[in-house]
Amino acid sequence: MSSASPSRSGDSVTEKGATKAADKVLLIGSPNCGKTLLFNRLTGLQHRVANFPGITVEIASGSLVGHPGVTLYDYPGTYSLQAISGEEQVAVEQFQSALADPELGLVLCLIDVTRLEKSLYFALQVVRECKRAGKPLLVLANMIDILEQHRIPMDLDGLAADLGAPVLGISARNGAGLEVMDTRVREVLGAQPPAPGDSGDPDLLLRGTAHQLAHKYGPKGDVLLRTQNRLDAFFLHTAFGGVAFFLVMYLLFQSIFTWAAPAMDAVEGALGWLSDLVVPVLGPKLLQDFAADALFSGIGAFLVFVPQIFVLTFVIGLLEDSGYMARAALICHRPLRFFGLTGKSFIPMLSGVACAIPGIYAARAVESPRKRFLTYLAIPLMPCSARLPVYTLLIAAFIPSTTAFGGLVGLQGLAMFLVYLFGMICGLLVTAFVSRAGSLEESDLPFVLEMPAYRLPALRPLLRKSWQRCKLFITKAGAIIVTVTMVIWFLGYFPNFGADLGASWLGQLGAFIEPVFAPLGLDWRYGVAIISSFLAREVFVGTLGVMFGIEGAEENMVPLVEQIQGSDLGLASGIALLVFFAVALMCVSTLAVLSREAGSARLAVRMFAIYVAMAYLLSLLAYQIALFFGA
Amino acid sequence: MTVSLWTLARGQAGVIDGYDDALDEAYRIRLMELGFHPGEQVSCLQAPALGAPRVYRVANTTFSLDDDVARHLRVRVVTDE
Repeated sequence: MSSASPSRSGDSVTEKGATKAADKVLLIGSPNCGKTLLFNRLTGLQHRVANFPGITVEIASGSLVGHPGVTLYDYPGTYSLQAISGEEQVAVEQFQSALADPELGLVLCLIDVTRLEKSLYFALQVVRECKRAGKPLLVLANMIDILEQHRIPMDLDGLAADLGAPVLGISARNGAGLEVMDTRVREVLGAQPPAPGDSGDPDLLLRGTAHQLAHKYGPKGDVLLRTQNRLDAFFLHTAFGGVAFFLVMYLLFQSIFTWAAPAMDAVEGALGWLSDLVVPVLGPKLLQDFAADALFSGIGAFLVFVPQIFVLTFVIGLLEDSGYMARAALICHRPLRFFGLTGKSFIPMLSGVACAIPGIYAARAVESPRKRFLTYLAIPLMPCSARLPVYTLLIAAFIPSTTAFGGLVGLQGLAMFLVYLFGMICGLLVTAFVSRAGSLEESDLPFVLEMPAYRLPALRPLLRKSWQRCKLFITKAGAIIVTVTMVIWFLGYFPNFGADLGASWLGQLGAFIEPVFAPLGLDWRYGVAIISSFLAREVFVGTLGVMFGIEGAEENMVPLVEQIQGSDLGLASGIALLVFFAVALMCVSTLAVLSREAGSARLAVRMFAIYVAMAYLLSLLAYQIALFFGA
Repeated sequence: MTVSLWTLARGQAGVIDGYDDALDEAYRIRLMELGFHPGEQVSCLQAPALGAPRVYRVANTTFSLDDDVARHLRVRVVTDE
C-alpha cells in the first residue's frame, strides 16, 4: 500500500493520548464524471500520485485548498463496488479500507447529473457503505452548469431525500457551487461523525432504486446528446471517420517522432556539454572513462526518452479528455480483436513504432488487465526507431541499391518496409497465439465502453500529469538503466582498462559465445556487438565499428558498410541479423519500464528470454532458407 | 418477438427483454448497473462499418458495445427513429 493512501496504518490517537482530528477527505465517483477536474481544482494542482505496481490504479493526494492540514484523496473511479476485474477489486478494497481509517473525516461522492443512470447505482452503494462505517458523506452533483445552460431543472432536494444523503449542485468546470461545498466541508469536519448504521439494502435492491431515481430526477429528452450525436456521426462515419482517425494518428506519431526530437537532441547536447566540462577535471583516466562512458552514457540512456514520454502522455491526455480516445478505440477494435487485443491497444502499439517505452506507458489506457498484458507482449515487437540504424547498416551492406518499375521501387526501401512489416506481424501473431493457447491469469473486461461527451481539454492539469509520468520514469526506471549500463561498461573496460574491447571481459564473452552465433555465419565480433546492444539497439552499430577499427560509425556508416561488404559475411547472415533485431528484446530501458509497469520483474525477464530465443530460432530459419535459395 | 440488440440498425430502438444465459453473470450485472435494465428503452445511435462496435443510448448515456456483448441482450423492436 502506498504512503499516499488514507488507509495507511494511522491511528486517531496521538502518542500523547490526545484524539487527532479527522483530517482526510476522500473523493470518489464513477468514470467520466469529472472527478479529476474537480480534484485538480480543489487541490490547486498541487498533488502527488501513488501507483500500485502492475496495475493502473492510482490514488492522488493533495492539500485541500482553504483547509489547512486537510488532505484530499482522489480514489479510482469504478461503476460499481461489485468488482468484475482484478483491478476494480483493488480499487474497491482500497475504498473499503479507507472507510475503516479513523482519520477519514468525510467522503465526497461525485455524480454526473447529465447521466444520472450510470452514477446513481454507485452513489447508492457509497451512501450505504458510509452509513455502515459511520462516515459523513456529501454527494456532489457535477455538471449542474450544463443543465442550467439548457434550462433543465433538477430537484436536488428531492434527490437528497431519496438518496438519504445531502446533495450539492456544483460545476467542476466553472467552479459553481464550490463555495457552498467549502462551507459544508468545514462544518462536517468540525462536527461529530455519525454512529455506524445498519447493513442497508443489498446491491440487487439498489440497482432497482437507482433505475427508479434516474427516471424520476434525470434530464428528459435528447438535448444533452444532440451535439455528441452529430460529432459521432462524423467521427464514426465510414469515410470521414476513417480520414479523421488517420489524421489524428498521424499527428500522434509525428508528435513522438518529430516534435519530441529537438528536446531529445537538447538533452543529449546538454549531457554532452556537461560531460565535456566535468570529465577532463576528474584526474585519473579510470575515473574519466567511468564518468564519460558509464555515468553520463547511463544517465543519457534514459534521460533522452523523457521528452518522448512527456509529449506522448500529453497528446494521449488530449485525446482522452477531448473524448476522441473512446471513438478511436471503437474504430480499431474489430481488427485487433482477432489478435486477442482491444481497440485501445492500437495507440500503445503505434507509439511503440517510435519507441517501446512511451508505448508501454500508453498501455495504461487499456482497462482490461488481460488485454493490457497482451499489448505489453506486442509493443517490443513493433519496429522502434532504435532499430532503424541497425536496419540501415545491414540493408546498406547486404541489399543492392537497384530499383525496379522505372525507379519507383527501390530494393533497399522494399527491404526496409518488409523488415518493419515483419516485426508488426510477429507482434500480432504472438498476441493471437498467447490469447488462444494459454489460460491467462489476468482478468478480462467486456467491450462496453462509455462514450464520453466531447469536451475541450484543460491544458494545465495535462501538463502536470505529463511531468509526473516523466518523474516516475526517471526515479523508477532510471536506476535500473544506469546500473545495467555500468555493468556492461565494467565488462568492456576491464581487465585492460579500455585499451582493447576485443580483449576485455566483454570481448572474451563474445568469443565464448561465438559457437552460438556461428550457425548464423557470424563471428565473435558480431556476438560482442549484439551483447552490447542490450544497452540500446543502436549501440550495435558503434560497437561493430569499434570491432572493425572504425571510429564514429554511428555518424558515418559508409566505412563500416564497406568493411562488412569486404568481409566474407554473406547475404544469408545479413538477413539472419535483420530477423534477429526485428524480434529480440535487446533494450534494457524497455525491460526496466516493463518491469515497473507490469509490476513483475519476472515478466520482463521471461519476455527477454523468450523473445531472444524466438529471435535466434527465426534468424536461424531465415539463414537456412536464404542459403537454400543460394544467398 | 425479440431479437438480439446487435441486430438493431442505426436509428432503431428497442425495449430490453432480458439477457442470454451465455453472457457471464458478472458482465450481465455490470450492464444492468450501467442502465441496461429489462424494460428500459435502448436505441442504436451509430453502426460503423466493418463490424465495429456499435453505439447505443440508454437513458442519457451512450455506450459502445461489441457484438460479443450486444448479441446476448434480447430486445423487442419498438420503432424506427
